[in-house]
Amino acid sequence: MFGEKAVELVKEVNRNKDSLSPYNTDLIEQVNKEICGLIEQNMEDANASIAGSSNTAAYIPTVNVRHLSVQRNLRCLLSYHHNRVRCLRNMRWEFGSLLPPEIKSNLSSSEAAWFSSYSTSLAKYMRSIGDDGGVNLGADMKPPKSLYIEVRCLLDYGKHQLGDGTVILLKKNTRYYLPRTDCEELIRLEIFEHLIN
Amino acid sequence: MDDSMGEQFDDSDLNITEEVAAPTTQDFGLDDINTSDTEALTASQVIELMESAWLNEKFSPEILPHKTEIVDCLLGQISYMEENLENLESNDFQKSLHQMETYRLRYLVTSYLRIRLEKIEMFNYEILKQEEVREEKNEESYLSAGELQFAKEYKENLEQHFDNVLSFWPGLPPDDWKKEYIKPNLHSFVFLKSKTEIEGVIIDDGNEEDGDLVDFKNGSQMIISYNSVSNLVKKGDVQLI
Amino acid sequence: MSLVLSYSPNYFSIDDILASQERTPCKFLTNVPKLGKLNPASEDDDLAAGTSLELPIWLVQPLSSGRHAIIAADLPRIYTEPYREILKADPVAVDLHKFNLYFYEFGLYAKSFDIRGDVATTLIYTFITRFRKIMDLADNMGLDPLINDGLDMLERGLFFEGHKARTKLNNWLIQTGMQLEAANMVTNHKKRKRVNLEDII
Repeated sequence: MFGEKAVELVKEVNRNKDSLSPYNTDLIEQVNKEICGLIEQNMEDANASIAGSSNTAAYIPTVNVRHLSVQRNLRCLLSYHHNRVRCLRNMRWEFGSLLPPEIKSNLSSSEAAWFSSYSTSLAKYMRSIGDDGGVNLGADMKPPKSLYIEVRCLLDYGKHQLGDGTVILLKKNTRYYLPRTDCEELIRLEIFEHLIN
Repeated sequence: MDDSMGEQFDDSDLNITEEVAAPTTQDFGLDDINTSDTEALTASQVIELMESAWLNEKFSPEILPHKTEIVDCLLGQISYMEENLENLESNDFQKSLHQMETYRLRYLVTSYLRIRLEKIEMFNYEILKQEEVREEKNEESYLSAGELQFAKEYKENLEQHFDNVLSFWPGLPPDDWKKEYIKPNLHSFVFLKSKTEIEGVIIDDGNEEDGDLVDFKNGSQMIISYNSVSNLVKKGDVQLI
Repeated sequence: MSLVLSYSPNYFSIDDILASQERTPCKFLTNVPKLGKLNPASEDDDLAAGTSLELPIWLVQPLSSGRHAIIAADLPRIYTEPYREILKADPVAVDLHKFNLYFYEFGLYAKSFDIRGDVATTLIYTFITRFRKIMDLADNMGLDPLINDGLDMLERGLFFEGHKARTKLNNWLIQTGMQLEAANMVTNHKKRKRVNLEDII
């Protein structure tokens, strides 16, 4: 059946909704090949019909089936890429503009280009908000409940500068009571763990 | 300019239980506001408007007209509060209360803007197309200048990426997908609270024939499909909750 | 992220693509030259009129509609009368997952092959009757992985959303404040990294 490989691509994204699997160059090339093959065969049959060398109407169903299969392949191919872009977009909001190298290596070069353009556009937009040099939309992601929170450091992080300029040394398994704003990003990146009660 | 940063903040929507003292008397002139009434708004009115815009944007399936004036005004207010805070001793108890207040307001503004960005990305083609139609008709744009710029860049960026993906295509790569917009589902159901008496709202149930009529009493709450009330939301007659 | 999106399939929608991949029986009305390989049981070059096959519904639907239909579509087995009777008798007892992973979405395609509208009625009746049970489950159960078993993908989505909302409400009621958490993707990423490391060691 046509389009079987393309639908494998879609299943692959479906399995990895919260993460980015390695860009499946092999499978994509196979899908691209199937598409090219179908288009080529359709051209041949269409030309043959025009030249009158065969029964013109007889090939219409064939051409039609192939055309629908091309459309289907295209849809799956774009869905694969579109859903990966959505995932990358979420990564930009969760990891920040620098992706960990293990994730980066799963991107195609075009995806990497998309990511960096997206980051640039986003930064530009954030600078344009308000009259005062912009607003960082990557901060204040959760509604605040209290000013200070208790956290546990999950690794030996070393020196870290707080918002008010003081520098503290972050050690593994040590508890800190710090301003919420100083912790937000470190919690998101699993350097701190937020302790409640 | 002394104690203008304490705001009475209606916190029911943010699940916040603490109270901050001293409702302000400070007025914030909204000279650049684009409405017919150019009267000055108090700081607490600005926050109220922002809250209302935030909830509407959060619960409406489509993007709503931008509220840049309110956003800018509130951001100004926040910076002003933050400046004042720097002058307070850090062991001042008041300071932490006021600081908390600025964080809440920041969350309010940034959350509002983030939700809009998500819609702009998700419904990118649909929103840009509608903006074009509005421009032709000389209607007010729904996106702010910055958002429009972002939306256009997002579109270009995605097209560039898809062009790369389809570069193997024999002949001209197809652009069918550009016609396949992702559209918001305007039939989604929303909860709302009416801010005034409204008569004869047509319930759009998706069928061809005319829907039933319903009257809203001031303050009444209901659940209804969004497209029946989208105009009322934009006019500010109802509040999504 | 926080965007509230109600269900609406689109061009890129994974669920819609997977649902339309499901197969339905159909019969070719005309010869289709050169495409004999669509029929795995035959080695002919051409596909002959009268051949019966099971093909994905994304292909069957457009080929069976309009004036130039080249195939006649049948209802997929699970929407035929005997199965509709089972659903009518007690929708809640049915393991819908076994019927089809995308029971409702596949049904939305299949209903166009049923002029009398019985499939549409069955879909709605099944959904309404089962919805109460799903709401109940979401409200009262922990995240027991077995719960999912009898649900189709749409129902699973509803169950998870409902369960999430209930958990949030419970947390809010006992009011311990919202815990700041590591971003989902960051956690997953680190987990995977750990697993990989273990592989190496």
